[in-house]
Amino acid sequence: MSVSRNESHRMLAELSVPSAPGNERRAMEEVAGTVESLGLPDRTLERLKTAVAEATMNAMEHGNRYREEAPVFIEVSATDAELSVKITDEGTGPAAFDPQTPDLEAKLDGAQTPRGWGLFLIKSMVDEMNVTGDERHHTVELILHLNGRKEASDGRKAL
Amino acid sequence: MAVKHFEAEVRREPGGAVLDLRGEINGFAQETLDAAYAEAEKENSGAILLNFEEVDYINSTGIALIVGLLARARAAKRDLSAYGLSEHYVEIFNITRLSDFMGVFPDEESALDRAVAG
Repeated sequence: MSVSRNESHRMLAELSVPSAPGNERRAMEEVAGTVESLGLPDRTLERLKTAVAEATMNAMEHGNRYREEAPVFIEVSATDAELSVKITDEGTGPAAFDPQTPDLEAKLDGAQTPRGWGLFLIKSMVDEMNVTGDERHHTVELILHLNGRKEASDGRKAL
Repeated sequence: MAVKHFEAEVRREPGGAVLDLRGEINGFAQETLDAAYAEAEKENSGAILLNFEEVDYINSTGIALIVGLLARARAAKRDLSAYGLSEHYVEIFNITRLSDFMGVFPDEESALDRAVAG
């Protein structure tokens, strides 16, 4: 489905969490509370929560190196067509994700580290993921297409 | 937000051992999970079942810990199964392909039936 990105987004929330281990759950629950009024299907909400948690964890760990004084900023906005969650850290250069596609068989055989699931989970949980950055920030934007979700929750179209 | 505690207890059952897991499976769970798994291996030539009924959060690091347990089980030619996962985490076990390498059951009864049948 093609979604126009020209429609202006209405801001639903601007959040921040200190970069401390475990705070990805706080981010996840705050975003879930913010989007409650959108009436997302349970399955979609759970997927969004996992994507937000993983992107926030990556931002805290690799972008801000778990410096509590360096918060992760989260912007939640929406149009009628899509929900956007932007997660920004204070890292420089390209956002640090393990570029290797996880291969479970290779991991079980010791050819890959058991870790490296974050980016794979994020991409699997949302419709689009965009990564941008400059000298002072990385931003990961998670996008859910809402029109299809409404159809699915009405049972008229299975995604 | 305080990081939730993680607990794991071992139960002996016909066909193997059950690890009752409680709380969040993230990086903080590693030491407890590894120790419980080692306890479940002792004097047990049968299967090991992971009970997720009281687990409310698993992150990517937690997935990596489960991959590590699965690697240990495969090296020892031991069956490792899971039950009690929520619908969302069953989906994650499917997309990561964990469910291709370990049994995923809805409840303890079906998991133990499979373990006893060998």
